[in-house]
Amino acid sequence: MHFLRRAMLWAAARLVPRRERAEWLAEWIAELWYARQSCAVDVNRFCLGAFQDALGLRRHASECEPGAASWLASPSRCLLFLAGLDAMALLAILPVPRPSEPIPLRAILLLMGMACLILLPTTRLSLGHYPASRYAPSLATRMRRWFFLAAKIALILAGMFAGLLLAASLGEKTRAAAVLVDGLLLGSVLAFRWALRDQRRRCPVCLRLLTNPVTVGQRASWFLEWNCTELICPRGHGMLYIPENPTSWFAAPRWLYVDSSWRVRS
Amino acid sequence: MAGDPTLSHTAAIILHTIGAGYGYGLRVMEKTGLPSGTVYPAMRRLERDGLIKSQWEAQSVADAGQRPARKYYRLTRAGKAALIATLKRYPLLVGLALAAEIKE
Repeated sequence: MHFLRRAMLWAAARLVPRRERAEWLAEWIAELWYARQSCAVDVNRFCLGAFQDALGLRRHASECEPGAASWLASPSRCLLFLAGLDAMALLAILPVPRPSEPIPLRAILLLMGMACLILLPTTRLSLGHYPASRYAPSLATRMRRWFFLAAKIALILAGMFAGLLLAASLGEKTRAAAVLVDGLLLGSVLAFRWALRDQRRRCPVCLRLLTNPVTVGQRASWFLEWNCTELICPRGHGMLYIPENPTSWFAAPRWLYVDSSWRVRS
Repeated sequence: MAGDPTLSHTAAIILHTIGAGYGYGLRVMEKTGLPSGTVYPAMRRLERDGLIKSQWEAQSVADAGQRPARKYYRLTRAGKAALIATLKRYPLLVGLALAAEIKE
């Protein structure tokens, strides 16, 4: 049994970035020795926690690299990124000959409708629960997140339109056009999914991506205690609780506004 | 560090427990009742934010006790300041710690 537990730690260590791995494993192996002496700790569950720790370190390492996720944390950069993609799509279709007939509006609506039909059973559409609070910002500030979502969707639709233009120029019944339309449908479903997920992970006040995820509770005990992920606004506007297993009493992510003493002074 | 750190309730409990002298992960787990998958990642973040710092125990001390050396965590100066600010924000934390002491 002890060999299996060490194997679990060794397997979890594979997830840890290489430069931290040796020290991480040494700490967990030492702690395992002490956990076995303790009667208050379930040693198997203790070892399973090593995976969460290792994944946290892996996630942090990838966040530290100047990747797309950290670059998109700012709302203006996020919109700029989508606008850039649209501009690239428009540039790509410039040399393509214009379709003989304009794209009917119903083609765009049909594509959107099909994307929505696929999204309904496959994606959580709720954007979360934002209860009224005395620390909540003004209505104008709260409306900003809806404008932000609308802008993202508009930019995604613009990209879809560019794709449809390209498909129309290829001819109605060509194989390439059919493949492009299928790809466009898949792409729009993924893009809408991303837009919703991104929206849920943003602060409703400053619209920046939330950071510092902390897992609270255990999946096995969700009936009796909280089992969620806590995220916090990097500027101190509030915290978001995302349930790991949606239940009737805690189904959607829940935002908590906090008072001004939390604001980060830089 | 730029500005005051913002700590969630869970992170505050862990910081408070380390501040109370329970300087390693297993002890923090026992005191708080939180699982290892919550405690260790939170301690890494606290260390990354400069609120706690870790140090390996001297091997000779561990050898003398015929046990493996362990990594101890303690509050930094910034961590002590953060703890004071956090206790104002979460005054019930002190009560929780006292309740745990009485239970023991």
